[in-house]
Amino acid sequence: MRLTVKPLKQKDAGRGLAAIDRAAMSELDLENGDYIVIEGRDSRAVARVWPGYPEDEGRGVIRIDGRLRQEADVGIDDNVDVEKADVKPATRVSVALPQNLRVRGNVGPMIRNNLSGQAITEGQTVPVSFGLGPLSSMSGQKIPLKVAETDPSGTVVVTDSTEVDVAEKPAEQIQEGAAGAADGTAPDITYEDIGGLDDELEQVREMIELPMRHPELFETLGIEPPKGVLLHGPPGTGKTLMAKAVANEIDAYFTDISGPEIMSKYYGESEEQLREVFDEAEENSPAIVFIDEIDSIAPKRGETQGDVERRVVAQLLSLMDGLEERGQVIVIGATNRVDAIDPALRRGGRFDREIEIGVPDKNGRKEILQVHTRGMPLVEDIDLDQYAESTHGFVGADLESLAKESAMNALRRIRPELDLESDQIDAEVLEHLEVTEQDFKQALKGIEPSALREVFVEVPDVTWDQVGGLEETKERLRETIQWPLDYPEVFEAMDMDAAKGVLMYGPPGTGKTLLAKAIANEAQSNFISIKGPELLNKFVGESEKGVREVFEKARSNAPTVVFFDEIDSIAGERGGQSTDSGVGERVVSQLLTELDGLEELEDVVVIATTNRPDLIDSALLRPGRLDRHVHVPVPDEEGRRKILEVHTRDKPLADDVDLDELAERTDGYVGADIEAVTREASMAATREFIASVSPEEIGDSVRNVKVTMDHFEHALDEVRASVDEEVKERYEEIEERFGPGETEIEEKEVGRTFH
Amino acid sequence: MTGTQQLSDDVGLRRYEYDDETVLAADLGPSRDASVDVLDDAVIVVVDDEQYDLELAGDAQAFIRNGVLTIEVDA
Repeated sequence: MRLTVKPLKQKDAGRGLAAIDRAAMSELDLENGDYIVIEGRDSRAVARVWPGYPEDEGRGVIRIDGRLRQEADVGIDDNVDVEKADVKPATRVSVALPQNLRVRGNVGPMIRNNLSGQAITEGQTVPVSFGLGPLSSMSGQKIPLKVAETDPSGTVVVTDSTEVDVAEKPAEQIQEGAAGAADGTAPDITYEDIGGLDDELEQVREMIELPMRHPELFETLGIEPPKGVLLHGPPGTGKTLMAKAVANEIDAYFTDISGPEIMSKYYGESEEQLREVFDEAEENSPAIVFIDEIDSIAPKRGETQGDVERRVVAQLLSLMDGLEERGQVIVIGATNRVDAIDPALRRGGRFDREIEIGVPDKNGRKEILQVHTRGMPLVEDIDLDQYAESTHGFVGADLESLAKESAMNALRRIRPELDLESDQIDAEVLEHLEVTEQDFKQALKGIEPSALREVFVEVPDVTWDQVGGLEETKERLRETIQWPLDYPEVFEAMDMDAAKGVLMYGPPGTGKTLLAKAIANEAQSNFISIKGPELLNKFVGESEKGVREVFEKARSNAPTVVFFDEIDSIAGERGGQSTDSGVGERVVSQLLTELDGLEELEDVVVIATTNRPDLIDSALLRPGRLDRHVHVPVPDEEGRRKILEVHTRDKPLADDVDLDELAERTDGYVGADIEAVTREASMAATREFIASVSPEEIGDSVRNVKVTMDHFEHALDEVRASVDEEVKERYEEIEERFGPGETEIEEKEVGRTFH
Repeated sequence: MTGTQQLSDDVGLRRYEYDDETVLAADLGPSRDASVDVLDDAVIVVVDDEQYDLELAGDAQAFIRNGVLTIEVDA
C-alpha cells in the first residue's frame, strides 16, 4: 500500500516506530506493534507500527523519524510502499565496530541492550549510543555499528536471548550486504533533531522544499518560486541547525558562505569568491546556499565605512536577483541583527520571506531537552517537564549546554575510576555511567539563559499559599493575568482582550511585591523586573531607549510579565514643573506608547506597584494601559491571622501561642509588620536560649526551643503598626476614586501632601 | 500520583483521541517482559517487576505486541 511520509513527533523519534493512520492500518490489517517493511526508492527499512496521530486519519500518512527516512532513502512527502513484515527473532548477531573505537571487555550485552527490539538486516549500519564513551565528546553522539552477520538470515529482530558478538573485522572493511540496506552513516541532522520550532520549520519547508521538488507547481500557478529565506532571531535559537536539517532532508547540494572567509585584500576578489560559490551551487543544482551571519557581509550600504562591503552587497544583490537566471538555487540567510542588513536584500525576489525563530516556550523547551537527552543514559526519575518549566528564557543552545554539562558532571563522577593512561576503557564502566537528577541540578546553576541575560531575574519561587490573606486581590490578579494565558480560547470566544496591565497600590508593606512575585511564578511566564530608577541615564534619549528595550525583550520572549516596582518614580504626572529637562515626561510618553501603541503587545502583561497612585500620570491609568487597579489593603483581622499562619508555619511555637488573639491585637499592622513581629519573637526566644545553654549543649537541646506567647508580647512592644487610621482612610478614599477596573478618573485632585 | 501519570513518566504513555475511541499507547521496548490485564474499570500493566494500575471509564481492550502497549477505550 502506498503511503505518504511525514515527520514523527520529537518525543517518539529514535525508537524505530512508524505512526500509520488508522484507515491505512485497518486496510493493511495491522495492529500496533506489528513489524512493517517500508519500501523507499531503492532501499527498505523495518519499523514497528505506532498508533497514527488523530489528525492524520484517512490521509494515507506514515510518520517515521529521520533515521528510518534515511534508511529507506525517502524524504518527507514522498510516497513509500508499506507492507506487513515477517520478522524472525535472531538467535545470533555479529556486529562490527568502527576501527577507532577503543573499548575493552565484553561490549556484547551493552550492544544487545541498545539494539534490542530493533529489526536489523545484514550489512546495515546501525547507530548505537554508547552512553558517554570517549568517542562521544558531545552528548547524544552515536557510534555507527555495522551488522556483519545474522542468524537466521534476512531481517531479524534482536531480543533478550539473542547472542551478540563482535566481529573481528572492523566496520570499515565489511561490504554492503545484498539486502539493500541504506548505505552511509546515520543522518547528520533530521527534522526530529529540531525541537519546538514546528511552525517555523513548516514555513521553511514550504519555501524551500516545495519549489525544489515540484517546480511544476509554481509553473502552473504562473509565479516564480521563492529564491530566498531569511531566518532571524536571538543567538542560539536554531537558525543554522534548521538550515542544515533542511539541506540534509531534501538531499540538495549544500554550500555555505561564512562572511569573513570570502573577504580578500585584493580588489575585486571578495566579489569573485561570492560569484564562485553561486556558480558552484548552480552547477550542482538543486542547491542551497547558506549564508550564516549575513549581517557581516551585507550591512547597510549607507552606514559602512569600507568600499569592499559596499561592493560585496551589490554583488550579492545582483546574484540573488540579477539578470541571469539563478536556476534552482535557494539562498538561506541567517542573522540575529535583522535590522543591520541592507534593506535592498529584504525585498521579494531576494529574501522572499523572513522567518523569525523565537525563544522557545515551555513545550518547545521540553522538545529540545528531549532531543538532547535522547542518547543519554538518564536515571529514571528525571522529570524533563520540570526542567522545561524552570528554564525560562533558555534558548536551544542553552538547553544543549545544560544537557551537556549534566553529562559532564556524570562523567566527573566516574573520572577516578578511569585510567587515562590506558588506551581502552572498561566496558563495565561505560555501562554504569548514568546522568542523575543531581547532575542536572548542578548544571542548571551554572547556566544563564542567553535571551534574557541583560534583564533576566530568576523566576521567584513564591507561590500563592505563601501569600496570607488578600483572597480577593489574589483572585482578581489571577483573573487578569493567569486566565488569558491559560484559557485563550475563552477570551477569544467572548471577544475579549486580555488586560494589558495591572496597577497594584496600597500602603507600604502590604505585600504588593510579594503578590507580583507569586503571579510571575504561577503564571509560568518569563519575568522581567524593572526598578524604576535604573532606567534613567544621563544621556539624552537613553532613558527612553531603556524602556523601549525592555518591551522589545518582553515581546520577543512572550509570554512575559513585566514588573515595575515603585512605578511612581518613573511615571509621574506630566506637565508639572519639571526640573529634569523633561526626561521624566519623555519616559512616561514612551511607556504610554509601548503599552498602547501601534505595535501590539501580545502576551505581555505589565504589573506595576506603587504606594502613591495619585502621583501617577493619569493617561497611564486609562483602559488599554494599566487598566486594572487593584487595591492591596491593610489586612483585616482574618487577613492578619492568615499572614501570621504563613510566617509561623515552620516555626516551633509553644502551645500557649494563640494566633487568633495575636491577630486581634495587631490592628493596623501590615504584612511586613507582622513578619517583623514573628521574626522578633523568634529572635527573643533565640536570645533566651543561647544565653541559658552552654555552647556545647546547643546542638542537642536546640530542638526543645519554643517560641512562647511572652516572646510575642515582647515583639509586639518592639514593632509598632506602620499604618494608622488616617493613612488607611486615605487609601480607602483613593480606592473609591480608582475603583477596581474603573475608568473615570476625574481631574487629579488629591494633594501631594500626605506621606 | 495516579497510575497514568506514573506510567507516562516511566515509559512515555501517549494518548490519542479519535472520534470513536481513545487510544493509549506506550513503547515499552520489545525485549521487556510485559503483560497487560483488563479488569472492569482498570487496566493493570506489569513491566518487568513494576506494576502500574490505570483507572478507566468505559470499555477497554488492551494488548501488547512487540513491546508496544495499546489500550483502546470506547468513547
